[in-house]
Amino acid sequence: MTSSQSNRLDTGGLIDRSQPLNFRFDGKTFSGFQGDTLASALVANGVKLVGRSFKYHRPRGILTAGSEEPNALVELRTGARREPNTKATTAELYEGLDAASQNRWPSLAFDVMSVNQLFAPIFVAGFYYKTFMWPAKFWEAIYEPAIRRAAGLGRAAGVADPDHYDKAWAHCDVLIAGSGPSGLAAAVAAGRTGARVILCEEDFALGGRLLSDGGTIDGMPAADWLSRTQAELAAMPDVRIMTRTTLFGVYDGGTYGAVERINDHLPSPPEHQVRQRLWRIVAKRCVVAAGALERPIVFAGNDTPGVMMASAMRTYIARYAAAPARRVALFTNNEDGWRTVGAALGAGLQVAAVIDARAEISAEHRSLASKGGFPVLHGSVSGIDGGKNGVRKISVSLTGGARAEVEADGLAVSGGWNPAVGLTSYHRGRPKWRDDIAAFVPDGAPPGMVAAGAANGAFGLGACLREGFAAGAAAARDAGHGSGSGATPVADDEAFSLAPLWHVAGKGKAFVDQQHDVTASDIELAQREGFESVEHLKRYTTLGMATDQGKTSNVAGLAIMAAVNGKSIPETGTTIYRPPYVPVAIGAFAGHHRDENFHATRLTPSHHWAAEQGAIFVDTGLWKRAQWYPRTGEKDWLESVTREVKAVRGGVGFCDVSTLGKIDVHGADAGAFLDRVYINTFSNLAVGKARYGLMLREDGIVYDDGTTSRLAEDHYFLTTTTAKAGLVMQHLEFCRQVLFPELDVQLTSVSDQWAQFSIAGPRTRDLLKEIVDPSEDLSNEGFPFMGAREVALRGGIRARLFRISFSGEMAFEISVPARYGEAMARNLMIAGKPFGVTPYGTEALGVMRIEKGHVAGPELSGTTTAADLGLGKMMSTKKDFIGRVMAGREALVAADRQVVVGIKPIDKARRLRSGAHIIPKGETPGPDNDQGYVTSVCFSPTSDQWIGLALVERGRERIGEIVHAHDPLRGEDYDVEICNPVFYDPDGGRQRG
Amino acid sequence: MAEFSWEARSPLERALVSEPYGVQGEAGVALTEIRNFDLVQVMARRGKASEMATAAKGHFGVAAPETPKAVRTADATLIWSGPDQFFVLSKGGRQSVKSLVPIFAASASLSDQSHARVLISISGDKARALLAKLSSIDLYPAAFPVGAVAATSMDHTSVTLWRGNDAPGGRAVFNVLVFATFAESLWQTMLDSGAEYGIEIGHSEELA
Repeated sequence: MTSSQSNRLDTGGLIDRSQPLNFRFDGKTFSGFQGDTLASALVANGVKLVGRSFKYHRPRGILTAGSEEPNALVELRTGARREPNTKATTAELYEGLDAASQNRWPSLAFDVMSVNQLFAPIFVAGFYYKTFMWPAKFWEAIYEPAIRRAAGLGRAAGVADPDHYDKAWAHCDVLIAGSGPSGLAAAVAAGRTGARVILCEEDFALGGRLLSDGGTIDGMPAADWLSRTQAELAAMPDVRIMTRTTLFGVYDGGTYGAVERINDHLPSPPEHQVRQRLWRIVAKRCVVAAGALERPIVFAGNDTPGVMMASAMRTYIARYAAAPARRVALFTNNEDGWRTVGAALGAGLQVAAVIDARAEISAEHRSLASKGGFPVLHGSVSGIDGGKNGVRKISVSLTGGARAEVEADGLAVSGGWNPAVGLTSYHRGRPKWRDDIAAFVPDGAPPGMVAAGAANGAFGLGACLREGFAAGAAAARDAGHGSGSGATPVADDEAFSLAPLWHVAGKGKAFVDQQHDVTASDIELAQREGFESVEHLKRYTTLGMATDQGKTSNVAGLAIMAAVNGKSIPETGTTIYRPPYVPVAIGAFAGHHRDENFHATRLTPSHHWAAEQGAIFVDTGLWKRAQWYPRTGEKDWLESVTREVKAVRGGVGFCDVSTLGKIDVHGADAGAFLDRVYINTFSNLAVGKARYGLMLREDGIVYDDGTTSRLAEDHYFLTTTTAKAGLVMQHLEFCRQVLFPELDVQLTSVSDQWAQFSIAGPRTRDLLKEIVDPSEDLSNEGFPFMGAREVALRGGIRARLFRISFSGEMAFEISVPARYGEAMARNLMIAGKPFGVTPYGTEALGVMRIEKGHVAGPELSGTTTAADLGLGKMMSTKKDFIGRVMAGREALVAADRQVVVGIKPIDKARRLRSGAHIIPKGETPGPDNDQGYVTSVCFSPTSDQWIGLALVERGRERIGEIVHAHDPLRGEDYDVEICNPVFYDPDGGRQRG
Repeated sequence: MAEFSWEARSPLERALVSEPYGVQGEAGVALTEIRNFDLVQVMARRGKASEMATAAKGHFGVAAPETPKAVRTADATLIWSGPDQFFVLSKGGRQSVKSLVPIFAASASLSDQSHARVLISISGDKARALLAKLSSIDLYPAAFPVGAVAATSMDHTSVTLWRGNDAPGGRAVFNVLVFATFAESLWQTMLDSGAEYGIEIGHSEELA
């Protein structure tokens, strides 16, 4: 054995001995080889103790050699890349790998919390539910944090992940999960027909159990067949082999989820590469060749380091040339377990004994035992002597009642095999029980999917090859590809014999779910307390709820429950299977959508100009909008916004309003169509005019508002609010296609076609005269309020000009094709320079609309009617429109509805805040006298005080009344006066002038 | 009076930097923005689809696509955009909305989308690999041949995707029309997604 790797076998294995790798575990340096996992390298170095358990802090070793591992969880890497709960059994070794054990303090060998074991009788199922019930407020503050510290499963890095992840789609005819003999046979059968094939393999190497168990296929050693098959598949252009990729879920329409660990096997991803990629694979057919998982037998001390699944022990010996023990015992209830004896003897290890629970043992095995010089004991393992340094002695209950002891430093256990029924059961399928193999097998599968080989309960090598090949050929055929699969690979089938055994009675803790520390007696307790259903059992004991999802424990758990209930296993049933098959990092689901790329961002045509001006941007939906433009010396946003409002009201300013939704409505019936979707009439709107419109939902509540202009007989230009732009387009398309298909109407979103600016203030016309071609008449007569038409601009382009006002000032909106948007902003600055033109943001826009009493998002809240908003008179009585009938419902026309009014504080210096409740003066605030709430507030430079809009019960009858504003969120109480919502220029002279 | 110049600026003018991006060496992906095009949406008036088809055939000399296809004419590309509607994509004002109005006056509504979209052309050995990160569409050569069109989404944004004529050497070329206000965001996602392949970045006035 290699000196630095005490348990490394001298020969054999699929490791590359020419590439030694150094790594650290709990601060100690070890070496391994390329081709090792962290677990196999630890085995090779004689490390048995790798972690402490979740609840009792019991010493734990390595149980398996795959992704089903419950115990050997480590924190992999350090700093920002630290990843808790990484399975040592799947983590590939790399130079410099740094891992730490979990759940121990101060060290793995001496763990203070292991005193929990002394209190074990109280840490039973439901302990937390029963104990930490009172007082309730202690739960979040005290109990939960303390329990989490004590229990926890590793520590998160606590800082942002420095690596990138991404997502991609793939498409194929035949998707294959697993590259064992069944999966490879399926892949060649499908690939040879010319079908597009994707094969996903969780491991970094293809072959599945062939890598550990070998065998003979088509008359050649399995390793030769494997390399020949890999070469054949690699030469097929439409076959894609994806290693390090777990197919973890199946979704609707033949869509599958897979995660590819592209660079997890390196210290950090190479520059520009991602760590992991999430795949959504669309496949016409899927062959699940995910194999089977060997299952433990539950007995006292079965979690002692050195107790290992028999197949895992073979894997460490044969694939990794690492000996988990020097003197091995085997505890099996089936024929397959005996293969570990052959592997151990072949590697020169001692075999201490075989404990076989079956009544009959073949002559072949008996002769092997006599040749190997070890006893075969009929019976079961009932206890383990050992501790953190591993197994020392094994207690055996012999059939007939006698006891025996076996000295060994490792125990291989085989309780039989459970087909991996996850993928086939993810659409709420329930697997069916097969008595002959004492296991659940798939009972049907989601559409297009079929299981083959061990995943389907076929455990012999020959059977796996036959089933996989047939399934691959059939899948290709069903996906539209012909024949050409060729000959089925041939191998013998191993003998199969199993006597079901789940739990051996004994003294001491016998673990069912090792990751969550659930014991056989916890299950018995759950049954006594009435939690008999497997779903209750799972939640009460947390069986199968750890990161391994109970891959090694679920079936044993429900078998024990079946036994104590006196029912059969199929009667007891299984819990529901849910994806993902293995934990998938949230980062992989997020892909590039993190930080500033969390969602798509929309930029206005003048965005980069505004950024140059130093604008502060606000996220409104996906948009970035200029909120205000601070100037040097201004101490806060309020000062900037107040300046912008005053500049507009006293001179002229402009604001990019391109975010409003814009829709071209074409067709001979465009006017009739708008009459049906708006509460007011548009068919009688003259060409060259604009009109404010309000639309309701079908239920009579206000949906959206905006101005719509008639540009030609058969062409209207409709605008929506920023927030509802997409929804209104959808709504109108629905109206056009479904409700009114008889109308000749065409809709096109032109939101992105036009850069639109609002220009407002008494000097607006002066500014426009600079920029609009002198031939255009902008006088009040030539371009009256609510006029809308195309104009020529100086310098050669054309624009659309709308005389509409949101601010209450003399105002126009001007539209130019979007690529001229930035030039427009620059040119407005040039044209307006003599008049002190001021760009303003959404805050100033909001202030001016509140001063003017215009409703916006906070008032169009999905609860208000047109009348609530003071717009009831707009509802035409001469035509039908969407929402008309339902708007007449009793509650929607009730006299005591909350309606929009203005409010101002009695204390003029007080700041208002939206959200405050309106309560009658002198009454104690409460739900019974809550009469409304404040919707919008601002500091009004014009009124020189804070003002607001509110929805108040019978508000319009109560102008002048003093009411109470109650704001429990901010702890504020004050009086306000109800007033007319139009604070500024109530007769509208300024906007018409 | 002040003088005004009206410089048209692409929404990608700042984000697009014409230098290699990502992994060094031979670029796996070329991203080229096509600037200053005319794009007109043609939608049949109610019950006038056959008249529209006749008008299109008469004007362009080829039938407008009635299924998700793009067809080339002498000076334009006609791209299916939905039932009874298609885009006319052209350069140099040869098929502007103004020139098309009389052609379709009796059969279709026209909406100018020239400024509403950004056109990005994607080619290179890794073009499909990059697009697989952005789009759920199967771009396998036989499944998405030259002239195939998809009205789909990328990065939560509506796009029109079509496969243009292969570049010299037989490399596939994919074109993406994305809404102008989303363009910079999608561009950034393309750079993020393509960095591992190496990206050659440029812009062009020529339609591929």
